[in-house]
Amino acid sequence: MTAPDAGLHLSISNVSKRFGATTVLEDIHLGMAKGELVTLLGPSGCGKTTLLRVVAGLTHPDTGRVELAGRDITRAPPYKRNVGVVFQSYALFPHLDVAGNVGFGLKLRGLPKADIASAVHRALSLVHLERYADRPIRALSGGQQQRVALARAIAVEPSVILFDEALSALDRKLREAMQSELRHLLTQIGATAIFVTHDQEEALTMSDRVAVMYKGRIDQLADPRTLYDQPATAFALSFVGQSLSLKGKVVSSDADGSVVETSAGPLRVPRRFLRGSSVIVATRPEHVTLTAGDNTLTGTVVGATFQGSRSLVEIDAAGTRLTAEMPGRCTLPERGETVIFSWPLSETLSFSGEEHA
Amino acid sequence: MKQLAIIVSWAAAVFACLFLLAPLVVIAAASFSPTPVFDLPTGGASLRWYSRIGTLDGFWPALWLSVEIAVLSTLISLVVGTLAAIAITRGKLPGSEILAAALVSPLMMPGLVLGIGLLQYYRSVGFTASWSGLLLAHLVITLPYVARTMIAGLSRFDFTLIEAGLTLGCTWPQSIVRVMIPALAPSFLIASLFSFLASFDNYPVSIFLTDVRTKTLPIKMLQYIEEAPDPTIAALSTIILAGTVALLLIADRAVGLSRMAGTAE
Amino acid sequence: MTEAMPAPPKLSDPERRTAFLLSLPAAMILLIMFILPLGLLLGVSFTGPEGFSLAAYQRLLTTPHYLSVIWNSLKLALVTTALTFLIGYPASFAIARARGGWRSLMLGCLFLPLAASVIVKAFAWTILLRSDGIINSTLMLLGIIDEPVRMIFTQTALIVGSANVFLPFMILPIFAVVAQLDPRLGEAAAMLGANPAVAFLKVTLPVTMPGIIAGVALVFSLSVSAYVVPTLLIGERYPTLAATIAKAYLLTQQPAFGAAAGVVLLSIAIAVVILSSRFGRSSGGLS
Repeated sequence: MTAPDAGLHLSISNVSKRFGATTVLEDIHLGMAKGELVTLLGPSGCGKTTLLRVVAGLTHPDTGRVELAGRDITRAPPYKRNVGVVFQSYALFPHLDVAGNVGFGLKLRGLPKADIASAVHRALSLVHLERYADRPIRALSGGQQQRVALARAIAVEPSVILFDEALSALDRKLREAMQSELRHLLTQIGATAIFVTHDQEEALTMSDRVAVMYKGRIDQLADPRTLYDQPATAFALSFVGQSLSLKGKVVSSDADGSVVETSAGPLRVPRRFLRGSSVIVATRPEHVTLTAGDNTLTGTVVGATFQGSRSLVEIDAAGTRLTAEMPGRCTLPERGETVIFSWPLSETLSFSGEEHA
Repeated sequence: MKQLAIIVSWAAAVFACLFLLAPLVVIAAASFSPTPVFDLPTGGASLRWYSRIGTLDGFWPALWLSVEIAVLSTLISLVVGTLAAIAITRGKLPGSEILAAALVSPLMMPGLVLGIGLLQYYRSVGFTASWSGLLLAHLVITLPYVARTMIAGLSRFDFTLIEAGLTLGCTWPQSIVRVMIPALAPSFLIASLFSFLASFDNYPVSIFLTDVRTKTLPIKMLQYIEEAPDPTIAALSTIILAGTVALLLIADRAVGLSRMAGTAE
Repeated sequence: MTEAMPAPPKLSDPERRTAFLLSLPAAMILLIMFILPLGLLLGVSFTGPEGFSLAAYQRLLTTPHYLSVIWNSLKLALVTTALTFLIGYPASFAIARARGGWRSLMLGCLFLPLAASVIVKAFAWTILLRSDGIINSTLMLLGIIDEPVRMIFTQTALIVGSANVFLPFMILPIFAVVAQLDPRLGEAAAMLGANPAVAFLKVTLPVTMPGIIAGVALVFSLSVSAYVVPTLLIGERYPTLAATIAKAYLLTQQPAFGAAAGVVLLSIAIAVVILSSRFGRSSGGLS
């Protein structure tokens, strides 16, 4: 994805942004099809919110180009972009009631009163708040305010809806309920949307594709499944899902892969590396079994916890703490017991050590 | 012991309320006095003192001057104080805390001293225009009230509201007019109320800056009271009180007294 | 990095320049209309017929009459502060604990007198306290007294009027703190074994201290420089610093002396501000 594609609904190319001496966005490329849901995932300070603001027109990039629905909007002010934003604080207007908030954008567009009323009603019924139209904002709960903010953003039928940590202020239970409901709603109205979050679970649930951002760059842009199974960088591995990883040096390399000498023992990886280079070897906890296999290590059990559908076994392998996931019903090893454990070569991930976070 | 504490605090609160209301009730009652000696209107109320207010010597010019100065100084302070409060609360200004403290500091300083200071100052720079001199002085009286209320209001103001306005189709000026100003309306209202009353009631500063032709209403009233305290003054006081009550009711409707108690002493 | 040094405001930074421009009008008003006049006043207070002189201060701080004038102002402020605290402190608890209509009613009772003109209130007290006033006629009507008790133009009248005018300034800052207190605080202390008196001294009093300090500082600095209330309720019998300043400028035309009296009054006010912010900081509490 190097050149802006004419078929894309939203296309971000070559976007960079610096604040003083710090680079917050570095050569960002992102293309989205119409109706696609993409999440920008990363820790705070990774530039995800800045990228969202660039799309909204609240921040202007130093270089690069943003196109929305076939129009170059790089220099367009926010009010000429037709984007909808759901802010982290919701940013509802305290001086207007629910209907006033939802109809605000339509009123500015000079729609007739009757059209505004029906559009407001439609937006509010999408978020199940049609009975709250006359309520003042302060009389609503946090979850209801969140819905009003969403209704306000979709009422103007924007080309893209942007969510800036929009669910983070809700408590966990409400947030999980909102995640699936929101996804359903956005699919229903065929909306194109970008979410910004630091919550990987939210990212995996909500989106068709996830862009993992780190230090102003997109480390990996992939669908949730690929992101989990084939993380492109050590950072993407550590940020999405659980993993166990060991550092080591490549001692031999052939056509099928390399052998990495780690503190816990030698491990095979299905990828070629230069001899002597430092490599991180990793896998997901659910691929580990307490038997010998492709990559076998020995360690001491330091803890085992039963969690219903699964059990977690914590193993100390020559000073490195690793967590293995077992089926819930299996017999757990005792604390202090020395165990042999392994995972298949096909599930072995490897990353060049230099790119490690 | 706990019961005693509750009884004491309620007794103190009831006493405080009655004590505070007493002079206001008395002045209103005395304004309907049938005789010129402040009798309570037990026999029959009289409205004749109200019809005499307008005949008080120099009353109309004084009232007009006070209203004019209070309205203008409030408007100017609202603009100037709000701009400063934005600079202070947005935190981009070095030394903003010092500026905030300085802007509010005239509240704690004796008005009389400010009055003589300004008198000396005007004399020394040869500034003799008493109307504009009075207006400038009242800016120092009203600005602290506006600054304090607007700093409190703006520190709670979510500036992403303006961005929300922009993304919904507002231009920058529209965002200010249609989002920021209405969202801050309660703060503007409280600030205006306190600022207007502080200027309208001011005596200790004004007294040094007026000449024979420019006397504010409080100066005139003190003069009437010292010269000939008859129920006409009570009638005038009652009208001023009624105006104050009206302003407070509007503020209560719009903002709520509890919130006012939080932002203003 | 060289930026670690506290650099002077760099006006090249556009956001800082905007903030600077926004605050400029207010800062200019403050400088030109507040700081410069008070500075000039300080200068005038040290001026005699032949330039620099301490004569005004000498007269003010060594003449027994003027020392008693200063003491009068301080005494008025001390008594007013003590009285309003004794009423206002317990009262603010009841107001903070009151719910709904009662709370609004009591807050209204505070705001209305606060918003009402000082001159109107002082005038009302002259009506109440006159020899032929309402209190005397009521007492005589009830047969409690045979002839009018002299009340107006006494120190009692002054204190009653002053406490009346400044009481809301004591209650509101304390109320603002008490209203945010968790009512369970006292219960928590009681459960820890503290008896109510100890709980009050160890818990309630310290946490309400910021409100107390704010109220005390406000009432003291307002009442020490009160002018209208003493003028109408006691007059020449109780000369205060404020009255002395007014007289020096409006009647006797002694600007240096008036300025010196003004500087003394200003110093008291500044001392109150400094002391209250120092105590306010050390008491910590809720800010």
